[in-house]
Amino acid sequence: MRYSIAALLLLLSGCAFDVIHLHQVPAHFEAAAGSAETWVLGADARIPLERGYATPLRQGTAWYRVGRTEQGDVYRTKDQVVTVQASNVHEAQLVLNGNLAVGFYLPVERTFTAADPPQQILRTPR
Amino acid sequence: MMSIARAAKTILAGLCLMLLAACASGPKFSEVQEKLAARPADSGRIYVYRTAIIGAAVQPAVKLNGEVIGSAVPQGFFYVDRPAGTYEVSTATEVTRNLSLTLEPGQTRYVRLGISIGFVVGHVYPELVDDTVGSAEIQQCHYVASK
Repeated sequence: MRYSIAALLLLLSGCAFDVIHLHQVPAHFEAAAGSAETWVLGADARIPLERGYATPLRQGTAWYRVGRTEQGDVYRTKDQVVTVQASNVHEAQLVLNGNLAVGFYLPVERTFTAADPPQQILRTPR
Repeated sequence: MMSIARAAKTILAGLCLMLLAACASGPKFSEVQEKLAARPADSGRIYVYRTAIIGAAVQPAVKLNGEVIGSAVPQGFFYVDRPAGTYEVSTATEVTRNLSLTLEPGQTRYVRLGISIGFVVGHVYPELVDDTVGSAEIQQCHYVASK
């Protein structure tokens, strides 16, 4: 019994709470020049990630282009907070390739985390 | 000799007092909102607040880019003004939890401190919330001076 308890305590003390990290790759961000392209999200969207999860994107939010990475065009909105998170939380910006959400750009970390799989989103002109 | 029921009541009352003592006791946000210092024009403001009473004894320091700016006091709030840039809010108990965010001039950000179950102590974690959510939730929080 005593050994069982000791083994359990050892097991628990070895548990890592910090076990899930977003899969991120470095991204080269180029800021957009001139007036920003804007559109409105026509339907709620959930963008799944390989690890962790992203804030659901809300229908009716207005988005504008802020730049580009090698993965696609980067958009942000002032109508809702967008984060991606696993054990930690990161502010994020949406990356599109056409109408396909391919992932998120993390402006603080300057990294990209990919959608898995990429999701079609409905864009309507503003 | 004290009966079991009486002893239980005494212990419960003591626990309630401890819980209350652990909560923030300054003026409510709604009472001091107009009196808060004006934000410098080139800066943004970050409000940090905690609504949850659960785990009241767990009050880790809140750091911004490694600098202690306050404590995670239940039902408390504080704020800091900082130049535009990128920031990391972190709290540490058994583990460290981080939130990375951007701040623009004139922008207000709301960081809510949540709590989750841990092995020995609860985990306090910062999360970025929408302005509408943050500005509503913070109304009932009490002012705790930032450090």
